[in-house]
Amino acid sequence: MRWTLTLLLAASLSAQVSNKPVTFEDIKASPNRNWLTYSGDYKGTRHSPLKQINRANAANLTPKWTFHMETGRKLETVPIVYEGMMYVTNSNEVNALDARSGRRIWGYRDERSTISRVNRGAAIHGDRVFFVTGDCHLVALHRITGALVWDKAYCDTKMGAFATVAPMVVKDAVIVGIGGGDTGTRGFLAAYSSTTGEQLWRLHTVPGRGEPGSETWGPKTLDWGGAATWLSGTYDPDLNLIYWTTGNPWPDFYGGDRNGANLYSASLIAVNPDTGKLQWYFQFTPHDTHDWDAQGWPVLMDIPINGKSRKVVVHANRNGFFYVLDRVTGEYLRATPFVDKLDWATGIDAKGKPILVPGKDPTPSGNKACPCVRGASNWMSPTFHPETGLFYVVTLEQCDIYVSSAKDPKPMQNFAGGGGEQIPTEPGKFYLLALDPKTGKRVWEYPMTGPGVMWAGTVSTAGGVIFFGDDDNHLVAVDAKDGRHLWHYNMGQPVFASPITYEVDGKQYVTIASQTDIFTFGLHEPIPSVPVLEGLRKLQ
Amino acid sequence: MRVAFLLLLTAAFFPAQPQVEDRENPFGGDAGAVEEGKKTFAGSCGGCHGTTGEGGRGPALRDGKLIRRSNDFQVFTTIKKGVAGTDMPGTNLPDDQIWKLVAFVRALSSPAADILVPGDPVAGERIYSAQNCAGCHMIAGRGGMLGPDLTNAGGSRSYEYLRESVVKPGARIQQGFAKATAKTKDGHTVEGVVRNYTNYDVQLQGRDGKLYLFKTTDLADFKVEVATFMPTGFAAKLSREDLTNLLAYLSRQTSRPVELRRAKGAR
Repeated sequence: MRWTLTLLLAASLSAQVSNKPVTFEDIKASPNRNWLTYSGDYKGTRHSPLKQINRANAANLTPKWTFHMETGRKLETVPIVYEGMMYVTNSNEVNALDARSGRRIWGYRDERSTISRVNRGAAIHGDRVFFVTGDCHLVALHRITGALVWDKAYCDTKMGAFATVAPMVVKDAVIVGIGGGDTGTRGFLAAYSSTTGEQLWRLHTVPGRGEPGSETWGPKTLDWGGAATWLSGTYDPDLNLIYWTTGNPWPDFYGGDRNGANLYSASLIAVNPDTGKLQWYFQFTPHDTHDWDAQGWPVLMDIPINGKSRKVVVHANRNGFFYVLDRVTGEYLRATPFVDKLDWATGIDAKGKPILVPGKDPTPSGNKACPCVRGASNWMSPTFHPETGLFYVVTLEQCDIYVSSAKDPKPMQNFAGGGGEQIPTEPGKFYLLALDPKTGKRVWEYPMTGPGVMWAGTVSTAGGVIFFGDDDNHLVAVDAKDGRHLWHYNMGQPVFASPITYEVDGKQYVTIASQTDIFTFGLHEPIPSVPVLEGLRKLQ
Repeated sequence: MRVAFLLLLTAAFFPAQPQVEDRENPFGGDAGAVEEGKKTFAGSCGGCHGTTGEGGRGPALRDGKLIRRSNDFQVFTTIKKGVAGTDMPGTNLPDDQIWKLVAFVRALSSPAADILVPGDPVAGERIYSAQNCAGCHMIAGRGGMLGPDLTNAGGSRSYEYLRESVVKPGARIQQGFAKATAKTKDGHTVEGVVRNYTNYDVQLQGRDGKLYLFKTTDLADFKVEVATFMPTGFAAKLSREDLTNLLAYLSRQTSRPVELRRAKGAR
């Protein structure tokens, strides 16, 4: 009786969260007030049309809320935001937050996962959010309640794989990759139906024995060649192609057992998301021996090249070169160095192959080469601002001593064939670089002063602001035109993730994950006194 | 002293020099043995550990952490020999009874999906449907939002926890599922379960299927009850067999099915 007598008058309440499913069209329209993919959009530009926070008022930014991730040790999550709800991940865990207050609405944690790894974020589609556990379970959760809808194991952890990737949704497909390329595994991309959880396709990034490309490996390493797929991808809806980067060949630092180019490691692959068919590939670092995964972002834009507008994909690679490729065909168009500390190649030839400097491979006694093993840039997200026409990317100026080991390669035994070590007298230095993708010219740099440890990226806004994390624990805002400092905030913890921006109730926010917390900022406004509700004065 | 006692008891489950012997429980996963062990436990162990392992003078045994990291033989040895330097005595119970105690203690903390439980899950599914449990609970994305998701109920909860949740629904209220009512300043009333609340904001899952994110400045009042929407007396309407079957069905709900023999040893 009591149930039926209760009067519910709720239809017009503004506090209601929309139950409207997230559509493919919604994702294509992101970012707007929402942030629906890892990069905000499908192109990987991380550029938001929001401009409430702008170069004129960014100095008035203040912290709005902090969400402490109880299990956080090194958060690499990039939030998803949809209609006032934010989804943040950690190892084997998703939390849904009220994006206005940072209060947890629900949490989901998989206590049975056998692997604990960092996690880079969730994806959203329909009434579901998706994330991966460390041991490669792709999990679909009800986005309002956190209820488990389906859970699919998609890799074999006994074959050296694990998962950290932020899934990407294209139409009904949830696309995921794996990690594990540093100790031997066989990389792949896989797509699952967001509706049913059934596998749609799987594409290996190291050919099987006898398949085309297998001749670019030796017999010892072919089955465990790496080319992991641990970062999310980008997508062109018009061409219906996804762009995904692949990791290093294994063993990372010793190439003697894998003579050849080692396809499709250290590459960008263009894949049909409906079929999983490889459309084209471009390998940045053939036969890599410096652990230069290609896991920087492939960013899609249309820019004039030699006076003609081209659909291109641009990419700042760990090897120190900024590449421009035709994203329809994979044709190499141009590559230019984007750091000073680059000595392994004198340039890139007309076919896109590096012009190698002899004697830069790792050796048993150690050999200096530049960039360092962390690369001239890495997976920290760049951004492209359409008004300035500039591409903003975090760079690292550093060389390393590279050591090799010819020990017989045994997978899954922490064997990488050597390593890269920092030279104590040559510390690295991070910069935020503004680069003109039309020419490859470096326009301005904003230096960082910290210890050279971070993985933080960028976001840009129509308000003319670039936000980025630095290696001194700051979130920093600079003017997109000239890099002039606008604002900074010390979060007191290192930063290993990229910021986002979104809007709720007409207010723009900027969010970034620090080591253990999610920080959110907005423009300062006085907080009115809040009367205590009678119902909250005593425990009921 | 009490702290020291607890620490010592805890240490007993992780001996400095671990026993190499790793005998499996001959009654592992045996539902009858679990029941017998439960009776013995209530009489012999409940004074310190609580009659259902909830803890008291001795540590709680059903949160899982203590027991899951010990193998069966370590638990057996702790019961048989006691823990030197603490109030935990040894026992003269026959070994068979001790093993049944081990089976019960293991069942207290192991996810229900990991142990053999009595009843017919297929018949239990019919009970679940007939009682309209899906009106409030989801399984695999289908159902209501006012009760905890049950898709992984067996994989994340012990059999005892599930039984208690059905038989005594108000005994423990899971975070996010307490009944609450919000009255807005513009005259609306929303009843539901409160996911989270402070003096400044409220996250309320309404009975109307909508999620509400309120600022308290928009509310005339807000009340939280120490209660849930789970009907009290629900289990009393079921026959013993129906209850057992329903629990069997819930116990089989897991996102990661495991070999049931695994329940015999430590995780």
